[in-house]
Amino acid sequence: MNSRIPAPIARQPWEMLIPLFLLVVFGAVVLYSAAGGHFQPFASSHLLRFAVFFVMALVIASLPRSTIEWGAYPAYGGVLLLLLAVEIVGAVKGGSQRWLEAGPIRIQPSELMKPMLVLALAKFFAGLPSGMVGSWRSLVPPGVLIMLPIILVLMQPDLGTSMAIVFGGAVVMFLAGLPLWWFLTAGGVGIAAAPLVYFFALHDYQRARVLTFLDPENDPLGTGYHITQSKIAIGSGGLFGKGFNEGTQSHLNYLPEAHTDFIFSTMAEEWGLIGGIFVLVMYGLILGWGMKVARSAQDRFSSLLAAGATATIFFYIAVNLLMVMGMMPAKGMPLPWMSHGGSSMMTNMICIGMLMMINRWNRHRRGIAS
Amino acid sequence: MNALTVSTAISSGRVQLVSLRKSSLDTARLRVLWVAMIFAFVAAIAVIRIGYFGVSDRAVTSTSLEEALLPPRGELTDRNGVPLARAFPAYALWYNPDAMGDASNPLVKSPQRVASELKAIFPDIDVADIAEMLASGRSGYIRRRVLPEDANRVQDIGELALELPRESDRHYPQGSMGAHILGFVDSAGKGKVGMEQVLDDRLNDPVLRNTPVALSIDMRAQGALEDELRRGMLAVNAKGAAGIILDVDTGEVLALASLPEFDPNRIDSEGAGNMFNRVTNQVYELGSTFKPLTVAAAIDAGSVRDFGKRYDVSPIKIGGFTIKDSHDLGASLNVPEILIHSSNTGTARIADQMGGEKLQRTWMDLGLNERPHIELPARGFPIWHDDWPRIRNMTVSYGHGIAVTPLHLASAYAAMVNGGVWRPATLHKLEAHEVPKGRRVFKASTSSRMRQLLRMITLYGTGRNADAKGFRVGGKTGSAEKPGGSAGYKKTSLVSTFAAAFPMDRPRYVIIAMLDEPQGTTASSFQRTAAWNAAPIVGNLVPRIGPLLGVRPDDTRDVDISDLRPMVPGED
Repeated sequence: MNSRIPAPIARQPWEMLIPLFLLVVFGAVVLYSAAGGHFQPFASSHLLRFAVFFVMALVIASLPRSTIEWGAYPAYGGVLLLLLAVEIVGAVKGGSQRWLEAGPIRIQPSELMKPMLVLALAKFFAGLPSGMVGSWRSLVPPGVLIMLPIILVLMQPDLGTSMAIVFGGAVVMFLAGLPLWWFLTAGGVGIAAAPLVYFFALHDYQRARVLTFLDPENDPLGTGYHITQSKIAIGSGGLFGKGFNEGTQSHLNYLPEAHTDFIFSTMAEEWGLIGGIFVLVMYGLILGWGMKVARSAQDRFSSLLAAGATATIFFYIAVNLLMVMGMMPAKGMPLPWMSHGGSSMMTNMICIGMLMMINRWNRHRRGIAS
Repeated sequence: MNALTVSTAISSGRVQLVSLRKSSLDTARLRVLWVAMIFAFVAAIAVIRIGYFGVSDRAVTSTSLEEALLPPRGELTDRNGVPLARAFPAYALWYNPDAMGDASNPLVKSPQRVASELKAIFPDIDVADIAEMLASGRSGYIRRRVLPEDANRVQDIGELALELPRESDRHYPQGSMGAHILGFVDSAGKGKVGMEQVLDDRLNDPVLRNTPVALSIDMRAQGALEDELRRGMLAVNAKGAAGIILDVDTGEVLALASLPEFDPNRIDSEGAGNMFNRVTNQVYELGSTFKPLTVAAAIDAGSVRDFGKRYDVSPIKIGGFTIKDSHDLGASLNVPEILIHSSNTGTARIADQMGGEKLQRTWMDLGLNERPHIELPARGFPIWHDDWPRIRNMTVSYGHGIAVTPLHLASAYAAMVNGGVWRPATLHKLEAHEVPKGRRVFKASTSSRMRQLLRMITLYGTGRNADAKGFRVGGKTGSAEKPGGSAGYKKTSLVSTFAAAFPMDRPRYVIIAMLDEPQGTTASSFQRTAAWNAAPIVGNLVPRIGPLLGVRPDDTRDVDISDLRPMVPGED
């Protein structure tokens, strides 16, 4: 190894960190443009938040294994209480809300729940004897772990976040080796039950919402309008884009949420297909590294935790991209490290921190083995 | 029971446990791979989708504000900028039973009530009919056009199912005037018949939509032509009429009319029957109007050098067919007299002397063997024979056995009087540099002679009724029997034409006026021939359009005919 670089720096996972930094900087560049060529209000706070949460990720990465294993359930329980607190505060204040305010900091517990659920499930399956993987014991306790936050989040109501939580949990369960036919049956039942629920369990106004959710064209001035404008923005970028600060869709406010949910469209308009591929390659490198960490993990807990964290990040990216490309109903889901917003940055940096931590464990163990 | 299973698993030995752990680890690794593949799959979809958007670009067509402010279809104007066709945004009233998302119950109020509320806005509708339509649950137009203030009142009824879609109408401010030139736009937004069809792409092009297209038409001349043609047509109970005013030096069509006309603002079955364009699409045997063309060809070929030379005008027997004149013209006539008295036999002998090859060549040069040259989509193909025996040469010389459109005749006359250069007719306004060079058909000297001869026909011959005072009109009548009937021609069904140009000292415009099957009435002194019905149309028209088109009446000027005047004694 190159001795001129100090060991603590050299041993960092640069194959993930460099794409991550490039992505954050690129995100700041796009936000600079989305603010009409100013650092305020988006780009500067974006970089500042990343700096803060990166330090947090480094702290997580340095946590010893015993602390994590010990703290998994308490952390889960704590976030669950926060979710409950959101409901109570919302009920007291009147109207639904998703935030908890503590001085200058606003916390969105449902975001925190995503990594915490993954952590709790990884802990559970690590402790479950291999022989019991096909029994009810591998289904009921995790089911309860997933259902509790889902119920609370659905009450907010926030369908998107609850789906993200289910996805993270389902990936951990899938990787834990639960019988494949359980997943297939669950999926089949879900598809079969959807129309029954739609026609018998929902009120009329709820049905209308589901319709709009499924078919944005039904609501041409609402979400359908957003997606059409987003497609126009991406399409008008062409191969090389209109150029930095030249996007009209975002600057003329055709594009809704140009700095958050639809930042990919803002980017694609100005940077074209080349910019889009750059972003996708960066995500590919980060997620690929995450999966590599999961695969090279030597024990069940770290393997499941790493894969679950990677899946959580993946879910953000996949839903956001499919949404802005009009292949999925519009759903408020930011794009990791590019969108302006603290909560998703925090969730994703927790996941990155956990991945770096597992990476360190892996290296440590390999180091011992060799 | 499960506790039992667990205890068995533990007690069954170390080997089994190890293999179990190993197999579950394998499963986990395999499943990590599965998840990774799903990641890769989604990434691939995203790349393909962005590529599709980025490269195809047409996936979504964007509408900019600029574009939205453009007229939905380009405007047409005449040569002076008078609007001829305009885009006109309008509202329709459409019943959409699905608007509420509940097909069984499309309305909030009862159909009867909604119908009576509509009745309050549109007093002419039938409440029972509309109520039945609303109750039937079938979508459809309740009204095709709704005024903006009525549209607001319909909105106030508060029924989602009553939709007011914005539709684009084409409005022709001049009514039916110039209908055959303009055409119309059908309900699908496609241009039909006239320049609307020819310029369909140009008028829909977002880049060019904002610039109106200027046609060669002068709306004042068009109005005068239609007015005089209609008057002439009604006076003699003709089946139809056609007319054209052509700029002899550029080929621009100043006016073009085919009667009866249609109203492009309101297309009905009667109008649809009148869309046929007699000027460019119908071929006629135009008869004696061809005689000056024959004489011009003969002068050009050098076979007529001496205008005083007398030609035998006795009937010609050839191939079992006799060519004769409508009335006895004596034993012989000189060239001016042949034209003034419109002698078939004299013209036939001039053509015979010249030879068929030269005549056929000249008329091909005048474009009489092909469809007329103009932008309009409907252009008739002439009845033209490539074989040209002696008898055909003789009949064709006075306009029988050949059928062309009135537009063919106008272009040929323009070439004959403008110095000898043929140019294609056009409906586009031409700038000076855009005028085509054309092709030379006659010598300039021939053209000068023809100006004298045409002028003499209106001064002393059959065209006297067209001689508008001071405008130096020259022209030739033509009255041809229509084909059909027992003897090959119908004695009472005529096509009367007057082909004219003015002013003859320096011709500017050619006018063709044609009547289809005129009857003998008091207005035409019970005559059916062109001298009595078509020539007066030109005589009335020229004073109306001359000053508008820059030709002032002037008694002190005229083409010099002093060298030919002595050859026609006794005429004044």
